[in-house]
Amino acid sequence: MSTSQSTRTFSWQNLGDLELGRPNLGPMAPVLAYRLMQFSLWDALIGEFGQEKANDIFRRAGHMAGREFCQNLLDKNLPFSEFIAQLQKILKDQLIGLMRMEKVELDTMQFTLTIAEDLDCSGLPCTDEVVCQYDEGFIAGILEEYTGKVFHVVEIDCWASGDRVCRFSARLLGDASCD
Amino acid sequence: MIKDAHAKLSILLQGKVPDTIGLENCASEDEHKLATLLNDLFAYMQEVHAFIVPLSQGNISNISLPQPRNFLSSPFKELHSRLMHLTWQASQVAKGDYSQRIDFMGDFSNAFNKMIASLDQNEKELKIKIAELEASLSRISQLEGILPICSHCKRIRLEGADPQQQESWEVIENYITAKTKTMFSHGLCPECVKTLYNDFT
Repeated sequence: MSTSQSTRTFSWQNLGDLELGRPNLGPMAPVLAYRLMQFSLWDALIGEFGQEKANDIFRRAGHMAGREFCQNLLDKNLPFSEFIAQLQKILKDQLIGLMRMEKVELDTMQFTLTIAEDLDCSGLPCTDEVVCQYDEGFIAGILEEYTGKVFHVVEIDCWASGDRVCRFSARLLGDASCD
Repeated sequence: MIKDAHAKLSILLQGKVPDTIGLENCASEDEHKLATLLNDLFAYMQEVHAFIVPLSQGNISNISLPQPRNFLSSPFKELHSRLMHLTWQASQVAKGDYSQRIDFMGDFSNAFNKMIASLDQNEKELKIKIAELEASLSRISQLEGILPICSHCKRIRLEGADPQQQESWEVIENYITAKTKTMFSHGLCPECVKTLYNDFT
């Protein structure tokens, strides 16, 4: 790419001033709009780069978003347990999803959590595949921003694979037990 | 094959998981497909059974989850997920983190969240009470021990002060007020009235 946009780096400021820009419609939009963007973009990326690369792009985008989300909406100085309570509340308040922490091993930095009623896949027909690559990156970005360590997040159960719940496993990158 | 399938479905309806149907006995392609589907169903039921029984006994951490695409197990996996979450949150509350809340889990959410709020409130009130009691105890301890008192005018000698200096002796009302915040109202007892104002009685 040779346009000036090629040097652009995503940041929270790119989201604009929604109070100024949407004084009547407000900051919320239907999940329909999100999924229209998500799945059409995904298909376009798959057509251009193939499935694996498209998934990776989504994951990287989620990672950027997660870091910015954490920097701008979360208090990183809270102890872990309170940080998770805060994250759970903000994800709910922003209508992003219902996060439920299931298992935490702070010594080894291994976490298992679920996100219900998420934007990406809840209610999708079963396609026998996990589709929440963006969320994988998003969670990794949040954890990385909070802990200062790099995480590898994998979706181990997905609504789209018939599980009725999206479950993620987070490990430190380089952890021998990583999937 | 149909007879075999009938017998095995009957076993399933009795709450047990049957063996698979032998595909070698299928007389047609349709029978083969039906038997394969029934065997899948039995396998799914076996997996659900192996999952839900320990779950019903409270074993939530060390059980093997059913494989994806086993739709019969989906609600149980959802239930398992929520029990895991509840367990984690309860352990955080036990450590004193009252910021935890359960979202959208019906009556349980209401009860659990009320319990956390109540624990939080009770602990705050308890801390206030403890602080008040500690302050009272501190004031009481200041009045304990032996007080040096003037045997005539009843002034109290201040702690560590020079007994030869008059300013070292405090009027008893002032002394107690300073130590305990107790206020005095003044009057005369009958004997003193008699002593002081005998001419007027």
